[in-house]
Amino acid sequence: MRVSRNWLGDFLELEDIAPVRIAELLTMSGTEVERTLDVGRGLDQVVVGEVVDLARVEGSDHLFLARVRGGDEEPQDVVCGAGNLFVGALVPWARPGTTLPSGLEIGRRKIRGVVSNGMLCAADEVGLGSDHEGILLLPPANAGAGLPLSDLYPEDTVYELEILSNRADCLSHWGVARELAAVLDRPLREPDLRPVASSGQPLLNSLTVEIEDESVCPFYRADGFGGIPDRAAPHWMQRRLQAVGQRSVSGIVDVANYVLLDVGQPLHTFDLERLQAGGGHIRLGVRQARAGDRLRCLDGVDRALDPATLLITAGDRATAIAGVIGGQDSAVHEGTRELVLEAASFAWTSVRSTSRRLGLRTEASSRFERLLAPQLAPVGALRFARLLTDEIGGTLRPGPVEAGRMPASAGPIRVAAASISSLLGVPLTPERTAAALRRLQFTVSSEGPDLEVIPPAVRTDVREPVDLVEEVGRIIGYQEVPGTIPVMRRAPRAGAATAPAARLAADLAIGAGYTECITGSLVPSDLVSPVRGLGTGRTDLALANPLSTQLGALRSSLLPGLLSSCQLNQARGRDRVRLFEQGRVFWRVDGARPEEPELLALVDQDVEPDPDGSAERLLHLLRVCQGLGERLSLGETEFRPAEHSGFHPFRCAEIWSGGQTWGVLGELSPKALAQLELRGRVVAAELRTDGWLVPGGRPSLAPALTRTPALVLDLAVTVPERALLGEALAAVHERAIPWLERIWLLDQYQGSQVLAGRKGWTFRLRLRDPERTLTGHDGEVTRQRVLTCLRERVAAELR
Amino acid sequence: MTGDDLQELTRGALEEIAGASDPDQLELVRRKYMARHGGLITAGAAALATVDGDGRAELGRAFNLAKSTVQQALHTRQLELASGGRAADAEREWLDLSHPGAGLDRGHQHPVARLVREIEDIMARLGYESVRGPEIEDDLHNFQLLNMPPEHPARDTHDTFYLAGAEAAWLFRTHTSPVQMRTMLSGRPPFRIIVPGKVARRDNPDPTHIPVFHQVEGLCVDRGVTVGDLKGTLEYLLRALFGPERKVRLRASFFPYTEPSLEADVACGICQGSGCRSCLGKGWMEILGSGMVHPQVLRNGGVDPEQFSGFAFGMGPDRIAVLRYGLPDVRELYENDLRLLEQF
Repeated sequence: MRVSRNWLGDFLELEDIAPVRIAELLTMSGTEVERTLDVGRGLDQVVVGEVVDLARVEGSDHLFLARVRGGDEEPQDVVCGAGNLFVGALVPWARPGTTLPSGLEIGRRKIRGVVSNGMLCAADEVGLGSDHEGILLLPPANAGAGLPLSDLYPEDTVYELEILSNRADCLSHWGVARELAAVLDRPLREPDLRPVASSGQPLLNSLTVEIEDESVCPFYRADGFGGIPDRAAPHWMQRRLQAVGQRSVSGIVDVANYVLLDVGQPLHTFDLERLQAGGGHIRLGVRQARAGDRLRCLDGVDRALDPATLLITAGDRATAIAGVIGGQDSAVHEGTRELVLEAASFAWTSVRSTSRRLGLRTEASSRFERLLAPQLAPVGALRFARLLTDEIGGTLRPGPVEAGRMPASAGPIRVAAASISSLLGVPLTPERTAAALRRLQFTVSSEGPDLEVIPPAVRTDVREPVDLVEEVGRIIGYQEVPGTIPVMRRAPRAGAATAPAARLAADLAIGAGYTECITGSLVPSDLVSPVRGLGTGRTDLALANPLSTQLGALRSSLLPGLLSSCQLNQARGRDRVRLFEQGRVFWRVDGARPEEPELLALVDQDVEPDPDGSAERLLHLLRVCQGLGERLSLGETEFRPAEHSGFHPFRCAEIWSGGQTWGVLGELSPKALAQLELRGRVVAAELRTDGWLVPGGRPSLAPALTRTPALVLDLAVTVPERALLGEALAAVHERAIPWLERIWLLDQYQGSQVLAGRKGWTFRLRLRDPERTLTGHDGEVTRQRVLTCLRERVAAELR
Repeated sequence: MTGDDLQELTRGALEEIAGASDPDQLELVRRKYMARHGGLITAGAAALATVDGDGRAELGRAFNLAKSTVQQALHTRQLELASGGRAADAEREWLDLSHPGAGLDRGHQHPVARLVREIEDIMARLGYESVRGPEIEDDLHNFQLLNMPPEHPARDTHDTFYLAGAEAAWLFRTHTSPVQMRTMLSGRPPFRIIVPGKVARRDNPDPTHIPVFHQVEGLCVDRGVTVGDLKGTLEYLLRALFGPERKVRLRASFFPYTEPSLEADVACGICQGSGCRSCLGKGWMEILGSGMVHPQVLRNGGVDPEQFSGFAFGMGPDRIAVLRYGLPDVRELYENDLRLLEQF
């Protein structure tokens, strides 16, 4: 919402406060200033010009040549593209040599062969609002040809405000002024609400109002006016409306808009004659729409009305959508002489859902949907009567017609002054607390240590004691509250995860050369991944209201996202891409909350691999997974050959621990790579980390560091080509052979030295006895034991 | 043998030592002069026995001088020859050290993950435990318990993704605040938690919005927690994140689940508060929303607001990453272009 500093000046003294200081005070107290605009600055060079002649520019269908007179000198020609000029119009004229507020320098230019002496300006071009439709037409009563424009438009500052969603009371100049008066501790000048003298026929003779359900429309007031002339709003009113971005429409509409922005009450004006629609007495009604109800609205759209829509009816025919928009058929127009003014209160829930359903947000709906106080309705009616009769003309008919009941104000809020001070954490005397609240126009009386507080009716957001804490805090200013750290009376939960497994796992992957990615949790609804990691490989959880089908479902695996990140990097010229991601995926569970396993996936792509490169990279990836298991899980980790779609049939394994599968790793199949448009070779792994990895990792125990020397010896065997090293080593470990401290593969050999169908393995064994030095004989015995074990399990033979 | 003889021998020995061009030659020289038996200088010891009185003392001094001079020279030359040999070998091992190559073969942490970790570590120093919660939530935890009944206007800024079909009761959480509720409902105060995680809002992607992004939530509930405590904690956190000199300000705001509500801004890092294009002329950048937990929210969490009070705050690490690292578009964080990621 935009507010004008000059307009705010109606309600409190602001002359001596710098515009930038006002912006700061508003922002700090909760009314954030998004932008500050200078209005009417630099207008002393622009003059009022009178159009004395108007012709089309030859050869153009939209350009006009205006002869413009500014004061006593000879009229000059100006070319103009706007269609709203007429002979006699008074318009802003920037003559050659003028600099506009935007910095634009105006010169003499030739357009279509015609010399244009400067330009005629729209409202936005002279910094008087955002309107760019047509040249700004100046009011004849105030403007005389040749006067500087600054005589008509004094300088102003306009603030664009972000009003908090609970502060319907701030959606007006009066409301914002109330805030400023509080933070500045200055008196607030209340609006003039003295009733206007009435005359003529009582309105009740022409009109009655009936509310079907007072829970959605607690209060409805209609005022009647007659003898209204067809007259535009006065210049000062148009000027203010323009400054805050409103277009001037007609006298009646401008007054209604002005009251809305002045005190915050949305009003609606009906043409009395049109409401009568030929009949005599008008029966206004407020009711829910019924099947078949339609309305041609003020914006020109003919709408079929949903039964949840609240309507204003005349003789049971829809004539307005309550709190949102009026109907064309009953709207005021140039010929309106008699009108009915609606000042009502509608339930925010009803207006809000109607406005959302229709996709239509208006100045009225954006206020009603925020719990606007019903007490504002009579304020709006009184202000309208005052301004209409004073500034446009016409008379108020006796007696507003009212329906419903003005809800009673809530009782006082009782609060211990000390509790406000103690929640804020700043020492405040009860007097200072009460004074802060009084600055906000709250009525405060003290009852011993307690305060009894009655906020103004418009402050629908203040209901409980804690709401008063906020009011006091923001009025004294949070900069006054000293910053402290809360006292900790109890230690954090013992055993709380200070080193979550996920963090350690990320460190390990980064140390191993993989770079962390974060990919989107939303994936295409029809995604079928060519690579199946954990899960089913398809997304089985779709969104009901996606932004697009490309972001239509929840991911069920990390691999598709990671592989498309590979693709992106490949496309941008990378030849080696190593990435990992940690995150949740989503699996459907029948009739229950979807499962959210925590996964870790790694990929390693070599766009131009050497022949054995991918095997080496797969084994490296395997060692990373093994490292995760060894450091961060409690059980032993095993890799079992497996088949998964999208993986190489002979280069794929599952990760097992404690009788469960925790992951899959392998090289991707050429077919999968082709589908994913990935070049070279890619190895990938996907692991489930929750449940497998434990916070803090595997507990460590110091081994006995025996001082006796080790005996190191080698053992060379041959085994069948497809023998599994993992199986062989597991067998040896299972056997718990005495003295054997460690065994590892030194070398693997395949070729002319071993029989076809077999391969050679050379192991190195390290033996030790804690008590004595081992002999050659001890070594031989151990070697035989290992050999026997290997012979049994993987058909090894001594080489 | 006389002192002059010894001087003569010493001169000869020094010449030959200097002339020795390899360790073998030097060894020959050493033997010639200094061999225990028959060395030209060592023989002086025997001559010493034949002299008496003053002459003997004088000769002794000359002998010791000759011996130590030659020994010193031998030693020095030996080192020279040895290092000369190594130098020759070393030259063959010449290495270009001007180009250390690709650096350590290590990966890189994602900037958002890095910021989340940084925030967790800062808050851990104040005793906050890092916890997680489900990303798929129900209306009760995401909205109702947090003072946002159906149709509440504050839901306008929480445009929500709902699951389809049989899962229609579930939504992608719009903030990490439901974890506050889950924490309070599953334990007893005091609570001090920090909650990082993904959240989603139905915003079309543009340079400042992405539908799925990150939040970090903090919650402290204890006896006697005050607005001052919230202020002190946020100042500590923001100065730890943005530097001890950075100006921080708290201003009034509104959230349905906190009362009072405050927003925290830090001075713009580009203009330091005077207003520039980067902060849209405001001089300040909104960093987090916070407030004292609303008494009704405490009650909803099974905590008695008469005895306990608390504060909560929430911030967006994606936005902080954009500000801190000068990214033109938040979506670049999730493209995973290695050229960006390798900067971290």
